[in-house]
Amino acid sequence: MHRTKLIDRRTCLRGVGAALALPLLDVMGWQEAKANHAYKPPVRIGFMYMPHGVIMDDFWPKDSEAFLSSPPAAVESLKPVLKECLMMKGISGVPTAPFNGAPHALELSTWLTATLPDPAKRSEINIAISADQIAANYVGAFTPLPSLELATMPQNWKENQAGLNEGYYSHCSYRSPTQVVPAETNPRNVLSRLFGQTGSGSESSDRDAAPTPISPLDRDMLDLVLGGARELRQKLPVSDKRKLDEYLDSVRSVERRIAAIEQRQKEAAMEKAGLRSDQRGADSPPIEIKIPDGDKRSEYMQVMCDLNVLAFQTDMTRVSTYIGSRPNGASYPELGFSDKHHSQTHHRGDKSKMEKVAKIVQFNIEQFAHMVKKMHSLREADGTLLDNCIMMWGSGLEDGDKHTRENLPFVVAGRGGGTLNTGRFLTDVQGNQGDLLTTLLTCAGIPLDRPIGIATKQIEALKA
Amino acid sequence: MRFPPSTPAIFLKIAAALAIHWLASNVSLLAQDARLVQTPQTQEDAKRHFRKHVVPFIQAYCIDCHQNSRPTEAGVNFSPAIHTPEHAAFTDQWKRAAARVAAHDMPPEGLEQPSDEERQMFVEWQKNIKYLSSKDPGPFVIRRLTKSEYANTLADLFGVDPEIAGSLPDEVSGAGYLNSISPLQLESYLAIAEKVLQQCAPVLQTREQSLTPETSEDGSADFPVTRLFSEFPAEQRSGPPREFAQKLLRLMFRRPASEQEINVSLDVFALAQKQDLSYDESLRLMVKAALVSPQFLFITPVEPQAAEKGAEKGAETEVGQKSELEGIVPLDNHQLASRLSYFLWASMPDEHLMRLADEGRLQQTDVLATQVERMLLSPKSRALFDGFGAQWLGLDDWQERTFDRSLFPQMNTEMRQAMYDEARLLFECVVRENKSVGALIDSDFTYLNGTLAEIYGVAGPLGDSLQKVKLENSNRGGVLTMPAVLAATSFPNRTSPVNRGVWVLEQILGENVPAAPPDVPPLEAETQDASQELTMRELTELHRKDPVCANCHKLLDPIGFGLENFDAIGRWREFDATNTPINASGTLPDGTSFSGPAELKAMVLGRKNDFARNFTGKLLAYALCRSLEGYDVIVLDRIMEHVAEKEYRLQEVVKAVVSSYPFTHRRIDTEN
Repeated sequence: MHRTKLIDRRTCLRGVGAALALPLLDVMGWQEAKANHAYKPPVRIGFMYMPHGVIMDDFWPKDSEAFLSSPPAAVESLKPVLKECLMMKGISGVPTAPFNGAPHALELSTWLTATLPDPAKRSEINIAISADQIAANYVGAFTPLPSLELATMPQNWKENQAGLNEGYYSHCSYRSPTQVVPAETNPRNVLSRLFGQTGSGSESSDRDAAPTPISPLDRDMLDLVLGGARELRQKLPVSDKRKLDEYLDSVRSVERRIAAIEQRQKEAAMEKAGLRSDQRGADSPPIEIKIPDGDKRSEYMQVMCDLNVLAFQTDMTRVSTYIGSRPNGASYPELGFSDKHHSQTHHRGDKSKMEKVAKIVQFNIEQFAHMVKKMHSLREADGTLLDNCIMMWGSGLEDGDKHTRENLPFVVAGRGGGTLNTGRFLTDVQGNQGDLLTTLLTCAGIPLDRPIGIATKQIEALKA
Repeated sequence: MRFPPSTPAIFLKIAAALAIHWLASNVSLLAQDARLVQTPQTQEDAKRHFRKHVVPFIQAYCIDCHQNSRPTEAGVNFSPAIHTPEHAAFTDQWKRAAARVAAHDMPPEGLEQPSDEERQMFVEWQKNIKYLSSKDPGPFVIRRLTKSEYANTLADLFGVDPEIAGSLPDEVSGAGYLNSISPLQLESYLAIAEKVLQQCAPVLQTREQSLTPETSEDGSADFPVTRLFSEFPAEQRSGPPREFAQKLLRLMFRRPASEQEINVSLDVFALAQKQDLSYDESLRLMVKAALVSPQFLFITPVEPQAAEKGAEKGAETEVGQKSELEGIVPLDNHQLASRLSYFLWASMPDEHLMRLADEGRLQQTDVLATQVERMLLSPKSRALFDGFGAQWLGLDDWQERTFDRSLFPQMNTEMRQAMYDEARLLFECVVRENKSVGALIDSDFTYLNGTLAEIYGVAGPLGDSLQKVKLENSNRGGVLTMPAVLAATSFPNRTSPVNRGVWVLEQILGENVPAAPPDVPPLEAETQDASQELTMRELTELHRKDPVCANCHKLLDPIGFGLENFDAIGRWREFDATNTPINASGTLPDGTSFSGPAELKAMVLGRKNDFARNFTGKLLAYALCRSLEGYDVIVLDRIMEHVAEKEYRLQEVVKAVVSSYPFTHRRIDTEN
């Protein structure tokens, strides 16, 4: 099978195919170093989620001055990197009517869509493409993986709120209004997805390690299958076509990943043979991944965070989403109590419950802090990896007790390649979650042809 | 009808108290004296009725507050609903509205009140909304196999362990989700295909002497794909294996392959040959290609058909018949075979079904009925419990449930398995012996092994395998009092009368219990430690002090307390954790009372019609892989009329579901 034909098919499928013919690294970013001027690393954008809101007194800084000098307990763990962080009050969530009875189905599903599910089709998935996937559609073409979706817990929570599809409960990434993007929960699979094998530093046996690398023969075989599928597609009615497109799309991205991995192997070989100068000598070497043996939640979340760091550091992807915990079903035995997160958030002012919730929030932010501190420790170009990232941590409720969404809690870390003015707490930005996503994507250099969800503007106050 | 509603007046009145509630069966009671308005029976009637009576009612009493404006009062907006009342989006809204109006909650005090006749008309209207829907089988978009369907299919084709698909992510049911496929999944499919081929390579070999199945040496050829290899004619081992491709694809695509599809498969063969792979290896690459093809991973139609206008001359014309049946077609025979076998077996159709489909006979009602009987008697129908029964009983996450092992050290793997199997065996017994669904609620036998007998406190059969045991105690028998269900509706360390009450109302009787208001914490979870000194009953009765909670809990709690004699893992007890004697008697809001589990069960069984309808509705939704709406309600009405005459026997219920209009037809969305 000739490569050119492959490209034709991909081009048909998504229109970004032409980029694939070029060596990936020449397309954007890194390769500008060639002509001896300083290269500018690409901006990466990541999202990390915690459900059920925060204890407000524990989370919001007292005022903009106090943010750096005496940060609130919830973000204590971020202290070393607070100068790289932004907090902002005054981001409201999507109004939930007519789904007032579905606070938890909506908190995650609206988080990156800033859109309500279509009430007329509530039993199906019908919402909107999410911000991470919008980003992936644009910058995804430049990396082996368009985006990376991770989750700590399986996305199989079965609860139906207000007749909404159960999928809304545990998903925040939507490739299209009707298609969820499932997240990976097994770190080993993530490694193999990133590098086609069990990865660096892992000493585990390969017994349960996933997929053997895909061979060129498989690729050519897939190409024939893809051709057959396209013939089938032409004969199908339109609703079936849409379903089949999801299949075609996934074949296409597998092919692209194979091509990208081959490209990287080639480069590595050239570098080894001295045929190519190492232009990124200033950068830190790739971090090591150690997959924990036990099932401690903190260790597990940290390895997922590490994988996120590694994926950004090695430019395997520029977009990530990590559902650190899903609404309902989570508990934190590590913190010394076995209560479910959700039951404690309905504290009605009970001190002991509020304390437990505060601990859970701190715990989640600690994992986020682990990730951004690591990014801050890695050198990249003239600065750090974190300088070139936009990492958003947040929740889909403000107060889990009352299910309010007036001031959604967010922490943004990273300077977005110099586009964000960090080290500040903004006391009232008067925006909504769509505005925030629109702003962050714009800072990441994603051209948007329309606002995200309920957005009406960008929040200029965040920008540098 | 063999089973006229006998005593359910108690429950019916409660309905109004519940405020938000499935009223369909109840309003007739409210309306029994004066039928002022004739009940519409056709779509035209229903539309006229709606315009003439319902719209003026809404305009007079509702719309001032509940209209297009921000913020909408209580999130209820009738502006769009009066234009498209039949839209599925408003189904719930109508139910709620009818319930509130029936309960005199709405319009609120102080505003102009409708007359009793008007009120009654509005409440009655709710059950007629279905007549507004056009006859429509609903969409049946090509569907990807679920994880377990995929695993079972591989097992049926190759004889591999279904665990081979373990690396696929778990999925949630729901039409939208199941159809999604991610890049990661495709890679997993490819990797699993590779694993299957590696495992089966020794038997995926053609032979010099082609073998007939009888003469196969090791029995390993007894799976369809391996058989294809062992029967491969040795003399044909040179040219392109066209016949092999044809047979392979019929198996793997579960329908005859098109000429084009066969050619693609032969291209794969040629590709392998060009890479100097051996003949067998090349055949295996064809298998691999089929394993990652959409035609394998999705259930696709035979000759993908464009929507045919007026494809069906409808025999039924009285209800909601669309003048143009645009884009509605019967399923083709092979699609029906797949739908049927994935419904009952969660796996591919066997050769028998395929042959009937080839002969074009599967659409015949009697053939379909015979197949249902055959399939339900097959051991593969276990999938119906694992997929449907367990979900219905709330046991689908049974393996992941946690128990406080310090209180319940006996809840080990064996015990869990025994509890799950007890429920499964009862379900399977009702299915295979074609008993009435009522036998699920009350039976005088169950299945025990040595381990589970401890829970029952009886001298049961020794050993590990569960055996049918006659029950002497009428408090036991049936799903309501089964340890697995009782444990699944409890907290890890103690019972939850509320969970149990909700479970009985929703899963058994099909009531719609509204969630607690958003700022109300679940009382029980909250006071777990703090209020140890209160008995569970005292604790739960706190609900009823608060009028917001009381409305629902005065119904939920008594039912839950009726089961309090069973502890959090289903053991009988006379005293609770605080050593207080259990009081399992209860009084429902209308004054009816019962003294314990046996009487509670009898009361539930008194509403057999409601239970049967709820059960059948859930089964229909499972079969269609979507929730029921609009025209489906009329379909369900018809099914219920029919199966009531058959004493709600389970096989009759399944037969009625698979021969129903939405199961045998599909709507195709045309291009625009």
